[in-house]
Amino acid sequence: MTHGANRNRTVSAEGVARVEGEGSLRVVVHDGTVSDVSLDIFEPPRYFEAMLVGRHFSEAPDITARICGICPVAYQLTACSAMEDAAGIVVSDRVQRLRRLLYCGEWIQSHALHVYLLHAPDFLNCQDAVELAEREPGVIERGLALKRTGNLIMETVGGRSIHPVNVRVGGFYSAPEATAIAALKVPLERARDEALATVRWVAGFDFPDVNASYRFVALRQDGRYAIDGGRPISSDGLDVTPQHFSELSVEEHVARSTALHARLDGRSYLTGPLARYSLNQHLLPDVAREAARDAGLADTCVNPFQSIVVRAVELVFACDEGLRLVAEYEPPAPAAAEAVARAGTGTGVTEAPRGLLLHQYEIDGEGNIVRARIMPPTSQNQLTIEEDLRRVVEGGLDLNDDDLRWRCEQAVRNHDPCISCAAHFLDLKVERS
Amino acid sequence: MSARDIVVAGLGNVYRGDDAIGPMVAGLLAMTSCSVRDVGPLAEPLDLLGRFDGADLAVVIDAVRSGAPSGSVHVLDVDLASSSDGELDQAGVTSTHGIGLVGVLRLATAVGRAPRRMVLVAVEGTVFELGATMSDEVRAAVPKALQAVTALIEGNEQCA
Repeated sequence: MTHGANRNRTVSAEGVARVEGEGSLRVVVHDGTVSDVSLDIFEPPRYFEAMLVGRHFSEAPDITARICGICPVAYQLTACSAMEDAAGIVVSDRVQRLRRLLYCGEWIQSHALHVYLLHAPDFLNCQDAVELAEREPGVIERGLALKRTGNLIMETVGGRSIHPVNVRVGGFYSAPEATAIAALKVPLERARDEALATVRWVAGFDFPDVNASYRFVALRQDGRYAIDGGRPISSDGLDVTPQHFSELSVEEHVARSTALHARLDGRSYLTGPLARYSLNQHLLPDVAREAARDAGLADTCVNPFQSIVVRAVELVFACDEGLRLVAEYEPPAPAAAEAVARAGTGTGVTEAPRGLLLHQYEIDGEGNIVRARIMPPTSQNQLTIEEDLRRVVEGGLDLNDDDLRWRCEQAVRNHDPCISCAAHFLDLKVERS
Repeated sequence: MSARDIVVAGLGNVYRGDDAIGPMVAGLLAMTSCSVRDVGPLAEPLDLLGRFDGADLAVVIDAVRSGAPSGSVHVLDVDLASSSDGELDQAGVTSTHGIGLVGVLRLATAVGRAPRRMVLVAVEGTVFELGATMSDEVRAAVPKALQAVTALIEGNEQCA
């Protein structure tokens, strides 16, 4: 790469590290201005949707769990929600609360992974988590302890922490014993303290001064910070049913990429922690809101680099919410509602750790899947990530190639794209000329 | 020695043809042997963190592509003392999120949670497309891979 003195250049960075999946980013600078920014994804994305056609509706939670090793619960529970909507199955409040507890476990392990092992090295001048662990083992140990607590919840409720096996349409195969759930109290109390320490730690990082103009989209659940369902709302006044949202959010193929790019009413938007926090922070429990305030977060966060602080605040929330659910736990009996197929179409939405996840299925009278649509957070966020990249490049044209590439990688990691969810192996490149 | 001291982990995606070999072998082993703990299937080496802490022996089973004939079985010690940024450093990485086996071992060592010994049992594969079935060559290598893991476990028990 050449330096800023040249007004025409192409910057390419292949393989942005610490992003789930593989993809490439290409930036073209012409006559001193950025003429093109593209986040390219290579692998055909929709095999899972094709795989699901012809399978029985009861299989969807286990099959879609394999889309992502980091957020399998998100896929399982969103699939369940969509299938239950299609078949008219109503789950009990106890089942729903147990699902929310399981989801808290996934948030804790996923956010701990991202904050400590993937994102924090960006702010501490470390190449990766290994270097950070060798420099500050106590800090990384705290992150791993948080992750273990998340895994413990997933194992206790879901049977195992990677691709849990206890989830089914209608509920669970078996309800955990009350004593098993009660045993989560002490680890969760410790985890909440560790999460609070995490907020204090990341609040001290140096953040570039960025004020982006985002169109936020998140779920709104009655009286609670949304995780396991709700209505899609936006920062510009949208408030619709999941079904209506699925009609408004249109995914399109872009020639350079095999992942779909989503637009809402024709425009880009952002889901994920920044959106959730900015739209729903007033629904956080006191302990999380106080942590956010002490960390210097306003009611809305539009600096993508501070997403690490928001994730830490959400860690506090997930631990606190987990404690509430543990305290209130009563084993659902039966563990699952009867799941009888009927022809229909159903839509399910939940808040995966990285943002809004939508599943939509059409099933026939035998319960076989006729059509499947899965819209992961990353395909919804991709256009906004590209807009962030354009801003970063425009503000960093004087940087040398390595520094600009690093800044671009950071811009991508801010949103923690799970590109393997969107396309299954993204290889990130940045180019400039 | 305690059965809890041996951890077996299968890395891979069961819906990706030969990539299913790791979870398959680990699962078979867990069904037939009571002296190991199957912590898989795992999607990434990073998933080992928190699951192999302090184990006496951690055996990781995964599919690889090294150019050897399909179905070949490799047994490789993951050893920080002799490893550099070579092939093993990226072993098991399926995304740029990932840290390779050596990186995970380094990280676990830094926080005092590494197993005493970590061994990779790698099966050469050729078919990794989503939705594909396992190739005949890799399917035929299952007994050999099982044998390799069993030998490691028995050797470890004799040393204990």
